[in-house]
Amino acid sequence: MNQTSRPLYWLGLGLIGTIIAAYVLFPIFWLVLASFKTTGELASLPLTFWPKAPTIEAYTALFDANSQSSQLLRWPTLISNSFIVAVSSTILVLIFGTLAGYAFSRLHFPGRDLILGGLLISRMFQGAALLLPTYRLMNALNLQDSLIGLILLYSAFGLPFATWIIASSLREIPFELEESAIMDGASRLQSMVRIVLPLATPALITAAMWHFVGAWSEFAFASILMESADHKTVTIGLASFVELFTIEFNRVGAAATLVALPIMVVFFFGQRYFTRGLLAGAVKG
Amino acid sequence: MGSVALREIRKSYGAVEVLHGIDLDVADGEFVVLVGPSGCGKSTLLRSLAGLETISGGEISIDGASIVHLPPKSRDIAMVFQNYALYPHMNVAENMGFALKMAKVSKPEIDAKVRKAAEILSLTPLLERYPKQLSGGQRQRVAMGRAIVRDPKVFLFDEPLSNLDAALRVQMRAEIKELHQRLGTTIVYVTHDQIEAMTMADKIVVMKDGHVEQIGAPLELYDCPANRFVAGFIGSPAMNFIPARVQNGQALLADGTALAPAPAGLAEGLAFVAGVRPEHLMVTEQGAAATVTLVEPTGAEIQFVVDLAGTSVLVSTRDRVNLRHGDRVSLAVEPGRLHAFDTETGQRLG
Repeated sequence: MNQTSRPLYWLGLGLIGTIIAAYVLFPIFWLVLASFKTTGELASLPLTFWPKAPTIEAYTALFDANSQSSQLLRWPTLISNSFIVAVSSTILVLIFGTLAGYAFSRLHFPGRDLILGGLLISRMFQGAALLLPTYRLMNALNLQDSLIGLILLYSAFGLPFATWIIASSLREIPFELEESAIMDGASRLQSMVRIVLPLATPALITAAMWHFVGAWSEFAFASILMESADHKTVTIGLASFVELFTIEFNRVGAAATLVALPIMVVFFFGQRYFTRGLLAGAVKG
Repeated sequence: MGSVALREIRKSYGAVEVLHGIDLDVADGEFVVLVGPSGCGKSTLLRSLAGLETISGGEISIDGASIVHLPPKSRDIAMVFQNYALYPHMNVAENMGFALKMAKVSKPEIDAKVRKAAEILSLTPLLERYPKQLSGGQRQRVAMGRAIVRDPKVFLFDEPLSNLDAALRVQMRAEIKELHQRLGTTIVYVTHDQIEAMTMADKIVVMKDGHVEQIGAPLELYDCPANRFVAGFIGSPAMNFIPARVQNGQALLADGTALAPAPAGLAEGLAFVAGVRPEHLMVTEQGAAATVTLVEPTGAEIQFVVDLAGTSVLVSTRDRVNLRHGDRVSLAVEPGRLHAFDTETGQRLG
């Protein structure tokens, strides 16, 4: 490509990117703006884009113990449950994914590559196909309607992909670094913790982000397994909320924004690691 | 510092034996180079000494004490790896102090030892830098510094210069040799580059297919190679090999011309392989007739290839000879510089 056409090329790419981003983000942006409007403004015509008098009334109503919505759905409990489930399963996935990824990348055992490939195949099953067997299994294990059950379930679902990402990343780290650490007096575990894992940080962050977002926003399994109000998660709460408060769109917007907030925070801080982690093993360094 | 003894070292991967009973003694403070082509087992032998490979048989001892059953960290050995193996997330000081940290040495002592090693290697201004901010030569020095701070009994180097460009390799070669002379350390050094071996070693171990072909001082190997493999491997450019037989005390070529007096002790009529180094062939008035096929002036010397009784032979001379393709020359061998090898076994005959 010649020098004169290069700016035009980038301008064209930027324009296409902006259009796609606007198309994807507009509904979310609209939802967030709606959460700062009053019910009256939302119902009036013509529709306004920016809130005339921005208010956080919809947000306070979510947490107002006396409000109708709070009596039906306890948002602090929903958020707390989702947080416990997402964080706990992320920690479990990281611990076991790291150990498994290390084993797949460093140890030689029969069927290693076959098993690693098999882990990805497990990702190809549609979640809906697993709903019934999972329900029966959790029932049999007495883990239905239990946060621990949901943590274990999400960990089991998240572990294959996390293991894959971490193993791919660890394979790129020269084994000589570990041997050097061993010569320097480190044990195998010390060399893994002090040398290998710090170098695999992008992959660990990617695996953690991927799993946290998936666990935080999971709906299907949570909806069939979690029955009592004390154990429901934010996604179930949001679904019920949409049914209950369709006419109060500002509250729906506030609830949806609140649910999406942790995901946005996670991506804001971890995005620079995300592509690096996903591309681990894709190109020879 | 320490002396190393390897006795009957064997190493197998499944049914395949890659080291076939290696014996080697390294004296205290000696610089020993293991040299040989790829796959000859030199790195495996070094890694076995380090404890990174488990040997299948034999005995390894340092200062008379067996270390076979000791893990790498307990062998009091430091190793410099081919790609330096610097920890990318640690700066130079942290890299150099890591082994001491693992040994739970106090921080002030670590700092002092790191500073001392940094001074020896001119690394003091670079202590806060990370490996990616260093040049190839600086990384190499940090890798050596990491070994020095531990003050081990034996230093191992696994092809440490192979990632450097030619000029830097020459410089680092000199630095490593100087370091050895300064610290008096026992060093076992692996390379496939025979020039590196010749220039650095007190003693060279030439290996091939998991066997030791010859052990000796560099010039010993150059002057008196034990077999055709060593003769061809040591020396650059490589030795010429020409089919010959003994007649009337002369080494006669295939066309019946006499190349030089045959080495003493060879039976009359014996067919052998004559070995002559390119630098030991001279253009003379009278000698074996040859036809020039290629001329390559390098500046310091002129190398030219000739057809000598049907064999392609390289000649290297410092004389300013004016030769062209197709010229006829007469060649003679410097007295006492003709080597004889068995046609079957390749062993030295004289």
